[in-house]
Amino acid sequence: MKAHQASGIERHAILLNAAARVSRSIASILDLNVLLNRTVDIICDEFGFYYAGVFLVDETGNWAVLAAGRGEAGRAMLAEGHKLHIGGNSMIGAAIANRAARIALDVGAEAVHFKNPHLRRTRSEMALPLIAGDEVIGALTVQSELEAAFKDEDIAALQTMADQLAVAIANARLHRQNQALLRQVERRARLLKAANTVGREVTSILDLSQLLPKMVNTVVEAYGFYYAGIFLVDESGEWAVLRAGYGEAGKAMLAEGHKLQVGGNSMIGTCIRLGEARIALDVGEERVHFKNPHLPNTRSEMALPLIFGGKVLGAITIQSVEEKAFSPDDITTLQTMADHLAVAVQNAYTLEALEAAHAELLRTKVYEALTVATTEAIHWIGNKAMPITMTIARLQEDLAGGQPDLASLKEDLALIAESAEAILEVKEQLIGQAREQQPRPVLLADVLQAAIRQSQAGAVEMQISKEAAYVIADSTQLVRALANLLQNAREAGAKKITLKAGADKQKGNVRIRLSDNGAGMDNEILEKCWSPFYTTKPGHHGLGLPAALHVITQAQGQIFLTSQVGKGTTVEILLPAANPLLGDLGKTPTITLLDEDDEWARFFTAIVPTAARAESPAPQADLILLDEFAPNFDAALEAIQQAGLIGKTVVVTAALDVDRMTRLLRQGVRDVRLKPYSPAEIPALWAK
Amino acid sequence: MTTVLLVDDEKLVLRSLEKTLLRAGFEVLTASDCISGWELFRLHADRIDIAIFDLNMPGFDGLPQAEAGIGLLKKVADVRPNLPVIILTAYDEIGKARQSVEGGARAYFVKGREQGLVELIAQILNNN
Repeated sequence: MKAHQASGIERHAILLNAAARVSRSIASILDLNVLLNRTVDIICDEFGFYYAGVFLVDETGNWAVLAAGRGEAGRAMLAEGHKLHIGGNSMIGAAIANRAARIALDVGAEAVHFKNPHLRRTRSEMALPLIAGDEVIGALTVQSELEAAFKDEDIAALQTMADQLAVAIANARLHRQNQALLRQVERRARLLKAANTVGREVTSILDLSQLLPKMVNTVVEAYGFYYAGIFLVDESGEWAVLRAGYGEAGKAMLAEGHKLQVGGNSMIGTCIRLGEARIALDVGEERVHFKNPHLPNTRSEMALPLIFGGKVLGAITIQSVEEKAFSPDDITTLQTMADHLAVAVQNAYTLEALEAAHAELLRTKVYEALTVATTEAIHWIGNKAMPITMTIARLQEDLAGGQPDLASLKEDLALIAESAEAILEVKEQLIGQAREQQPRPVLLADVLQAAIRQSQAGAVEMQISKEAAYVIADSTQLVRALANLLQNAREAGAKKITLKAGADKQKGNVRIRLSDNGAGMDNEILEKCWSPFYTTKPGHHGLGLPAALHVITQAQGQIFLTSQVGKGTTVEILLPAANPLLGDLGKTPTITLLDEDDEWARFFTAIVPTAARAESPAPQADLILLDEFAPNFDAALEAIQQAGLIGKTVVVTAALDVDRMTRLLRQGVRDVRLKPYSPAEIPALWAK
Repeated sequence: MTTVLLVDDEKLVLRSLEKTLLRAGFEVLTASDCISGWELFRLHADRIDIAIFDLNMPGFDGLPQAEAGIGLLKKVADVRPNLPVIILTAYDEIGKARQSVEGGARAYFVKGREQGLVELIAQILNNN
């Protein structure tokens, strides 16, 4: 039964019940729009009214604006922006102004003619103020098609419901405010994070082509803006050139080479000229028409200058699809970011200038080195070739004369032979290290020993730590490089040569320091000494150090030289550290090893159970190994030949040399092989 | 007999030139750097008729120098301004030639084309 069908106490009870149900239904709705729309529906359904609507007082306090209305009529009025003047003639205006409910009926002495075209069937209307705390926040209108549908005593029941609605509206508004605050806090957190990212990146990325696109992405994504772009002033100072732009629009403008005149009409141009932030909004009196075809949705734009040390380096543009997009917070944090960015741009410029200066210096140095090398090479070739041609001319003259002086002829031939040999020797020095490298783990102590013997450096104090025992290199080339360095030390008149090797585990390197107390070099020689053919020593080719540099570089190492005149020279070499390669030996033959008791002999006999070191060749051995750099090599080879064991002798060496190899093979040795430095390399010694 | 002072740090060049000049009938005094060349010149300053200096050889400090021969030439010219000097060099470069001649050399001779050296010496001495 609906209220209008009952009467008296029963009618009052129905209204109170309905009011209670409405209150319960709306109490938990926190979304204001949902709350108001549901309220008008529930009121109509529960009370059987033909129309209900909610008006809310606007910001000015002068108008009650329709916020929700039942059915078609409600929708139509909302679409029209229906509002009523507070304190005016309307029921709503009066209820709000007087903070009291009003009833109007189409009957009796105070008969009212309802004239709202959307609500033609209304015959009774009640307007109830919505009061939250002390404030009237709006009014509720309920309307009926029945004449005299409302009685004064109904007001109390409906006002209770209106009060509940007012509380619910206040709650929903508070919730909305809280949500907004929360969003603001979240946004601030996001902005701080973005500012941190910018701060971090500006110090870590020095390449502008990487840094600037990251900046525009960070700004757009953190703030939710539509677009950001960074312009830098070009060398002429006349143009601001786009260097990074967000998204497809940015890509298109970069492809077009987008630039704006400094001091021109554009915001960027003005911002750069004045060194001041510019903000343009598509609202209010200063309405701006944004015309960039790539950015059709821009409604607000901000241009912030990038200033370092009083100089404007460029500007950043930030654009939004919202009309008043930039909060004071935004402007503050973005200008801070722009300041950071300006520092980064200046750093990058400084680095670019440094790099350019460095490249110029490098070019000059390379040119100087090439000039020295070429000059020395020409001098060298001229000197070697001259005796040949001159001597040949003399020989021809002698022979043409018919009575050649035999002693002179012999001397001339010796001159030619010596010149030719010098040329061939240099050829080997030049191309030796260019031959194919065979990098492998090599036993540093053994390679050094071979280099000492080869260079005739005499006594060298050696100290190699366990961790530095193995390096990756081509042993033949490394012997050549180290022998060159040791020879230099010897020729510098060193009385004492020391060699220390230790490992840098973190870098995976072995550091070798070769020091001598020889004559040393001054700075001029130090600068030129790496150039091929440069030498301070008569009769030398000047290829020792360049060859060592080449070998060490090819082995992925580094070599440095420090020297003091009168005090000596230190060469420092870095080479990759290594471990020996493990492998299965299989069945091992009986081996006699003719070698001194050195590092390699101990390694070999420890790994091969059937091998033993001996002073003389044992006839019963399956295989005789002879170390090419053993101090008694010649005597041992002769003993082997005399014992008729040359056919089962393999000469092992740290450095293969084609001439020596050929000579030994001619003498009948079974083979000449590189020394195995890893268990995995050993079986090849006896493999067929 | 004509006496030639020959200074070159390259052992084989020195010997080969010496032989050629001896064969041509000259008396030859040889040295292998500026210091020993200068010593030899001072000892025989009066009887030397012509000098041949290598351009690039150890200078007065014992270290190789690109223009050591010009340094020696200048010192020699202080004592014997009119002594003809030929600068020997491996550089086939006009700039170096001009520099040597401006420095007082009578001629400039490029190594590797030395067949004409004896004729050049004869020509210079005749003009003298």
